[in-house]
Amino acid sequence: MENGRIAIPSNGEGGLDGQRSGHFGHCDVFTFIDVEDGTIKNITTLPNPDHVQGGCMIPVNLLAEHKVNALIVGGIGMRPLMGFREVGIKVYHDAERPDIRPVVEDLISGKLPIIADNQVCGGSGGGMGPA
Amino acid sequence: MGNLLLVSPDRTSLASLEKVIRQKKGFKIHWAKSGSSALAAVQKNAYVLAVVDEDLGDMTGLELVRRFIAVNPMLNCAIVSGLEHKAFHEASEGLGILIQLPVQPGEQDAVALLQHLNRILNLTNSLANKTGDQD
Repeated sequence: MENGRIAIPSNGEGGLDGQRSGHFGHCDVFTFIDVEDGTIKNITTLPNPDHVQGGCMIPVNLLAEHKVNALIVGGIGMRPLMGFREVGIKVYHDAERPDIRPVVEDLISGKLPIIADNQVCGGSGGGMGPA
Repeated sequence: MGNLLLVSPDRTSLASLEKVIRQKKGFKIHWAKSGSSALAAVQKNAYVLAVVDEDLGDMTGLELVRRFIAVNPMLNCAIVSGLEHKAFHEASEGLGILIQLPVQPGEQDAVALLQHLNRILNLTNSLANKTGDQD
């Protein structure tokens, strides 16, 4: 990834050295990583609104409004995944590593895979353990 | 508030729900008698909510909601299901369903559904307004 904004569902305060949230819809904050010419230029966070049953399009719209280009998830449900595709946000998948930094670095260097339809979990919970 | 789609081969199944919704201003109710006709309607028109019965004859309600997602993931859906809570949760995970309605939903269920829909719509509008302020 040469340019763009990456979002990572995060626990606590988030940040590049923070921990990812395994539960997309229930994360505390989204960490935003702005990339220019293949390098990290800026890091910010955005609180995730309270989760409401059936409200999984709310964070989809939130990230779209904040010009996010790519999202890294440990797990995501089919409806929000299709929602992200609808608004043009690419969704990448890593269900193993809980730290933010290595998955961001892998995405920037083109090593992180786009999530496949058969990797969608039953719900918005992820493969990285408890939310 | 917009168009609302009721999907059931048997209108009496959702009659109490329809009665309450008709008492609220702002909704225009449309009916589809089967899953395939509902899919065709969603491909052509914009709806703020679809309420789907449990068995549609040509497919189950859950199958229709899965197909809705492929057509329009932004569509809010409520579904009638006789499954107990845990089984329903497992069967519907990832589909982002607003609310599980009991078989033959009553007027109180309709009120709860509309309250929940309003909450979702208000959150969405609030988000849009905040973002607009920032821009």
